[in-house]
Amino acid sequence: MTEFLSGISIVCFAASYAVALGCEASRLVFRSGVRGIVMVGFAAAGLFAHTLFLGWRAVNDSTVPLSSPFDWYLLAAWLLAAGYLWLALANPRTPVGLFLLPVVLALVGAAALASRQPFLQSPASQAWARIHGSFNLVFSVSVSLGAVAGAMWLIQAGRLARKQPPLVGFRMPSLERLTAVTHRALGIAAWTAVAGFVSGIVLNAVKLPESVPWSDPVVLRMGLVVAWLVMADGVAIAMRRRPAGDRVAAWLSVVSLAVLAGSLALGLFAPSRHGMPSAPAAREEPHAVEASP
Amino acid sequence: MTSAAAGIRTSLALVSGTHRTVPLELRERLAFSAEQAATALAAFRERFPGLEGVLLSTCNRVELYAAAENEALAPQPDELVAFLAECRGLDASLLSGVLAQQADEAVVRHLFSVAAGLDSMVLGEPQILGQVKTAWSLGRAIGTSGPLTGGMFQAALRTAKRVATETSIARERTSIPSVAVADFAAGVFERFDDKRILLVGAGKMAAETLRYLRAAGARDVTIVNRTVSRAVELAARLGARPGSFAELAAELVAADLVVSTTGATEPVVPLSLYERIERQREGRPLVVLDLAVPRDFDPAIGARPGVWLYSVDDLAAACDTNRQSRTREMPAALAIVEEETLRFMTDMHHRTTAPIIEQLKAGWSETGEAELERLFRRLPDLAVSERAEIRQAFERYAAKLLHPPLVSLRSESQSGPPHGLLDALKRLFQLGE
Repeated sequence: MTEFLSGISIVCFAASYAVALGCEASRLVFRSGVRGIVMVGFAAAGLFAHTLFLGWRAVNDSTVPLSSPFDWYLLAAWLLAAGYLWLALANPRTPVGLFLLPVVLALVGAAALASRQPFLQSPASQAWARIHGSFNLVFSVSVSLGAVAGAMWLIQAGRLARKQPPLVGFRMPSLERLTAVTHRALGIAAWTAVAGFVSGIVLNAVKLPESVPWSDPVVLRMGLVVAWLVMADGVAIAMRRRPAGDRVAAWLSVVSLAVLAGSLALGLFAPSRHGMPSAPAAREEPHAVEASP
Repeated sequence: MTSAAAGIRTSLALVSGTHRTVPLELRERLAFSAEQAATALAAFRERFPGLEGVLLSTCNRVELYAAAENEALAPQPDELVAFLAECRGLDASLLSGVLAQQADEAVVRHLFSVAAGLDSMVLGEPQILGQVKTAWSLGRAIGTSGPLTGGMFQAALRTAKRVATETSIARERTSIPSVAVADFAAGVFERFDDKRILLVGAGKMAAETLRYLRAAGARDVTIVNRTVSRAVELAARLGARPGSFAELAAELVAADLVVSTTGATEPVVPLSLYERIERQREGRPLVVLDLAVPRDFDPAIGARPGVWLYSVDDLAAACDTNRQSRTREMPAALAIVEEETLRFMTDMHHRTTAPIIEQLKAGWSETGEAELERLFRRLPDLAVSERAEIRQAFERYAAKLLHPPLVSLRSESQSGPPHGLLDALKRLFQLGE
């Protein structure tokens, strides 16, 4: 059993998600009675392997479980994959995986590039680091879901504007439903991003005197992301009662994901002191906690 | 269409008059109501004892399916035509020229195509399946449908289900009201029970569209018409609320979906009117199904954000696209029909081999038993378990010997009743008739 669990790699579940994505894409090419079962089967198998992989890491981590950038990306991917599976079962005729699974695969890909070293924290800062990481996880997932709903809104609106009937096997949810998801996701993303940023400031204060400088690239980038999300949510709320409000919200959601993805992509390569140990605490008793990359 | 030559004896026969072959006037005279169909089937039972029969009568077709288990009793298409003519009080010579007559495999293929909607006026329409089921049920109730037509109709329902699930031939909508509601309005709105529907004008298409909207959950419906009495009358008939045409602007502010079918020669809602009310709508999306010719809504309104405006031409174009999609699915649907026809015919032909196989098995079993008895008498010390082992070995041996001829019979059944093989078996093993 131990050998089996330790043998699971990210390639296992990434491959399962990729097959499920291929099945989703095949909706555009041909009809099949068994595709739904194959698609959900591979997605469920991927999620199962994904869960075992994270569980195995959590149990066997000598420090605080799931506290590295690698784990953070995989947790975000896990949440989105679980969301996909639920949506695929609840709405089998909606090709939501065509939009959601690429995000899942991108997060798994980012995990492969990210550091597996846990963020080292002192015991005093652990609670705040956990809060900081959790909020960042929620806002990232919300941004992703909002962007998927926004992209689907734009495609559905394009089809309705061109006055074309829906493609067989490619029936999108209604604009009304997609608008509701987009607005909700933008709102949750903005407020959890603010909460994540504030908790980061508190965490930085707890870690004084060797805290992350305000000029650190991660701090600056995340500050910009938070500012963008607050602005986007504000604009979406202000435009809600305007005829073009739903379209604006859809675009803002899609752009929000691009902004977040750009910020995370830069974070994979740019040097930063974010998440590095504060010297005295680390010397006393190093612990790893959940935080964002 | 294949015509059965006079004198040909078959176990399956069909005479059918459809929208393709029978003029509407004659189709109307030939059509059976449910009661008339029941009476006709009762008469069929009296007239053709030993035959099975199912009568399918819709507005586009009248078809009489007949079947006999015994080829000696095989139905004659000419007699079936005469029977139909008699039932409807028509001259048989009127029908014989226009009713198609088919036999055996062609009957099965035709029924499967009909059940799947491939022979319908609107390709892939699903209502025919219900009518086929009803016809079969009536045959069973009257006692004219037996195992042969039962198996054939059951296989027809299976074929129709396969065509519906494995192709998209029945998925695409082809009527303007259904496309307007299911493909466009439902693309904007998730639900209709909390939406306000406004019917402007009292055109026939409005009532039909409202039927689809009601099915989708619409409850709050207002009808405005220039003639107030007409609006009141229509509202009472459709379970809607009558509104004032003078209050059209206010009604447009409150509406989420508008179906417009007036006979006005100028737009009822010009762009200037919509621009005046746009702000009051507070950004709520508006779906407009402008089914009037000439159009009731200025086409420029469709370019306003949040407005989804569809004219009759837009919807007709979508219907055409859907029809083309259905036609593209035709080869796949026909392949399913062909596959199911072969499967059914193989099973039917194979049924004829059952008595011979039974005889063969019984003969071998009898011989085997006799040999076993002789063996057990010579070896009286055998234990009960040893006897059972030997008996099982005999049975396995007989089954293995019988397997190759059974496979050959099954294989031969695909191309028709395996008369040659059956004759050979009868002669080789000296089996009786």
